[in-house]
This record gives sequence, C-alpha cells and structure tokens, in this order.
Amino acid sequence: MTALLSMESLTGGYGEADILQTVSLSVAQDEIVVIVGPNGAGKSTAMKSVFGLLTIRGGKILFDGDDITGWAPNRIVQRGICYVPQVDNIFREMSIQENLEMGGFLKTGDLTAAYDRVYELFPDLKERRKTLAGSLSGGQRQMVAMGRALMLDPKLLLLDEPTAGLSPKYMEQIFQICRDVRDTGVAILLVEQHAKQALAFADRGYVLAAGKNRHEGTGADLLADREVAEMFLGG
Amino acid sequence: MNLFELLNFYVVPGIVLGSIYALGAVGITLIFAILRYAHLAHGDMATLGAFIALAVVTSLGVSPYVALPIAILGTAAVAVGIDKVFYEHLRERPKIVTVMASLGIALMIRAVVQVVWGVDTQTYTRGIVRPEDYFGIRIRDREIYTILAMVALVGVLHVFLTRSKWGKAMRAMSDNPNLALLSGIDNKKVVMLTWVIAGGLCAASGFFLGINTELKSMMGWHMLLPMFAAAILGGVGRVEGAVLGGLIVGIAEELSVLVIPSEYKAAMAFAILLFMLLVRPTGLLKGKVL
Repeated sequence: MTALLSMESLTGGYGEADILQTVSLSVAQDEIVVIVGPNGAGKSTAMKSVFGLLTIRGGKILFDGDDITGWAPNRIVQRGICYVPQVDNIFREMSIQENLEMGGFLKTGDLTAAYDRVYELFPDLKERRKTLAGSLSGGQRQMVAMGRALMLDPKLLLLDEPTAGLSPKYMEQIFQICRDVRDTGVAILLVEQHAKQALAFADRGYVLAAGKNRHEGTGADLLADREVAEMFLGG
Repeated sequence: MNLFELLNFYVVPGIVLGSIYALGAVGITLIFAILRYAHLAHGDMATLGAFIALAVVTSLGVSPYVALPIAILGTAAVAVGIDKVFYEHLRERPKIVTVMASLGIALMIRAVVQVVWGVDTQTYTRGIVRPEDYFGIRIRDREIYTILAMVALVGVLHVFLTRSKWGKAMRAMSDNPNLALLSGIDNKKVVMLTWVIAGGLCAASGFFLGINTELKSMMGWHMLLPMFAAAILGGVGRVEGAVLGGLIVGIAEELSVLVIPSEYKAAMAFAILLFMLLVRPTGLLKGKVL
C-alpha cells in the first residue's frame, strides 16, 4: 500500500511552543483515517499542519510524490488537498450555489461537472441551491462546507470535527457521506471528538495524546484495545 | 406650507443631497466590509474627483458630464495608488493605525488640491439654472441627472456583486475572510477591486456635489460625517443599506432646517450617527457590528 499522504515525525506548533512532537501518520488513496484523542492532544493541530497553517520545526510531510512541508495554503489547495475548518466553514450570506462557486474559484472553465458531482452527493442541497447558507441547519451547513471543499476535485479532504454539535441522526448521515466521498476516490483524514462512533466507521485510526502518537490501527482493533477503551471511551 | 412646498424645498433637495452621500457611503461600507477599517480620506478623495473633472472641463472645454467618466477613472487610479504606497504596508498592524494614516492621507489630498487649484470657490459652468416644472414638482436637470447617475452606478455595482465571479469573491472576502483564503481567492486582487470601486464612486459623489453647488477644497471633508452616518445607518457592509442611509441622512438634513438654524444642518448627521451606534449598531439592514 503506497501512502497518498505521509507525515513523518513532525514537530511543530503555533509560534514558539511545539504542540506536536514527532507525530507520524499516513493516509492511503482509498482510506478514511480518523485522529482521536483527549482534549489538547493536538488532533486539530496535526491536521492543520498538513494544510500549512503552523510552524514546522522538524520532520516532513509528503503528498502524492511531493514534499509539501512549509507550502502556503493556496499552493496546497491547488495540489489537491482541501480543508474544512470546524467553525466558520461556510459563507453565511451567500447562497448554497455561491458557496460552491467560491469553492471552485481556482478552477478555470466550466463548473457544471463539479456542481453535478457535489449535488449528486448532497441531493438535499440541490433543491435549496438558492437558499442562503447561513439560514440552514447545522447538518446542512456541514454539507455545504464539505461540498465547497469538494468543488476542486481534491485527492484528499481534511475535515476538522465535522460532527461537532450535530444530532446522532446527522452524525450518521455525515459519516455515510464520508464513505460515499471515499468511494468516489477521495481520501479523507478527519479529526473526531466522538471517538467511539468515529473509530467504528473509519478504516484506520490514530490515537494522539499530549502531542505524540499513542496507538494506531484499524478502527476495530483500536476499539477492542483495553488501554484505548479506558482512555477515551469511558472504560 | 403645502405639500408641494415641502416637496420642492425640502424633499427633492434632500433626495439629491442623499444621492450624493449615498455614492460616498457605498465606498465607505465596502472598505469597512473588506478591509475592516474606517477610511477617513474618503471625503477628500471626493474633492479630488470633483477637481479632476474641473481640470478636464477647463482644459478641454467639454461638458462636465463628459469629464465625469475621466474623473472616475482618475480617482480610482489614485485610490489604488494610495493603497499600494501607504495602506498596504499597514495591513498586518492594528486597524487603528490605518485609520489614523487615512486621516493623514486626507490632509495630503486636500493640500494637493489647494496647491493645484487654489482655495477659492469654483464652478463647472456659470449662470443660474432655473428648475423645470413637472406637474408641480420643480426640479433642475442636473438634479435629475444626479439621482439617475446614483441609481445607475449602484445598480451596475449590484449586478457586479451578485453576478460576476470577482464580485462574488468580494462578498466572500467580506463574509468570511479565512474561508475565502482557504478557497484560493486572491486577497490582493479583491482589495484592488475594492479601491477601484470606492475611488470611482467617490469621484462621482464629489462631482455631483460640485455640479449642484460649487467646488471648494473643503467640500469633501464636510461630507465625511454624513457619509459615515449613512453607511452606519444602513448597516455596515450593505450596499443597498448605504443608499437607503444616504437618502435618509440627506432628507433629514434638509428637513432639519424647519426646526433648527441651517448652519446646524450638519448636526443632523451627527445625531443620526450617535443614535444608531447607541441603539442599533448593526444598522437598518443588519450589517456587521463594528
């Protein structure tokens, strides 16, 4: 299995402090990989490091044959990684369609094929494409946010806590959409607070604690691990 | 006083003045929304636009309306230039630094206007224009042109912002700057576009103030407060709000003469500004909170 993304003993953080210490992880072409861990473990930081949003002091990040360590976010977007932040991830005062159009901003030429692809994944959005994104429910906003990120046909999608604050029903729906997205050939790396559900649905998982790798394995293996269970899953 | 007197002496002049304010307020609101600071040189930029038009009229001997597009382009270029030379270097600093810098720019522009064109009052054309009578409403041609030009310019801007790719990029940058950057929208181009639009509208505002009254080096500075009042009244970041706010401030100023001495007309704008900031800082159309 060749990795699409591989992070090799990465050390770095915001400003002076190193939040991540020699963190390594990888994502293959057709995989959903989840990062779980207690609060302050550096989950979101690990993800943001892929997108060039923090200062890296050691290690490197390889993506699809390129060393992308230290690249600026707009260059990374063009290379095929799109990122969905946890909060403020939509343009509230623009319609669903306009949100998608902004997602495809860097694309030259016709966006029709990209719209069709996104609307096929999110049929609910197609019916309401003229609606202002800010007036949608939490789950639908998350769909708009993911749709926006998919407009550039990325090879890898980064999702920062996509189910935060959503009802169990929507959580299940978002997970199902993630599987559908993966089946179209897009790898997904996501950070999740709901460790149990996320490990059950992901292909593989990493457990981070205090900015370091703690455990890794398939979702099922991690769920079965006693130490992991005691750590996060309420014993 | 009958209805026609009220309309002819207060409401019509109020709408004309309001249209002039609206042209400036739209630029102020766009700069607030995209660059996130109060641009205090806006009035003096309008003065510059008015005098560029005067220069074209006197040197080429053309009608002021022919000079207007040239003044719009010239002032837009100056606005972009000022941003590149001054404001761009302050982008990462606290916004108050840029606000203060813009006050300095205001004084510089005014000084240039005074050196080049002098401090005396000037006009585009000589002579008195009598208003025409339309079913009892008395209005001058230049007043009609002022209102129509405002509606046309703001209409074109509206279509640009809602239909074109770069117009939408401007709205995206105003809505959520981080996400706009994550989407690969070029911030520098959006900023440049903002100055082209704000500068051009400034010139139109100064020009129409000049053609309806006269040209003075302080003309734009005196419009600054009403223009800000209009932008905040309408809701910061709302183009249609700035137009509504401009018209309300203009009409309120003209009507205020009925109860207070006309020298204190400008206090109306100040009162509206203060009232809105205290009572409803998001403005009539729910803009951003400052």
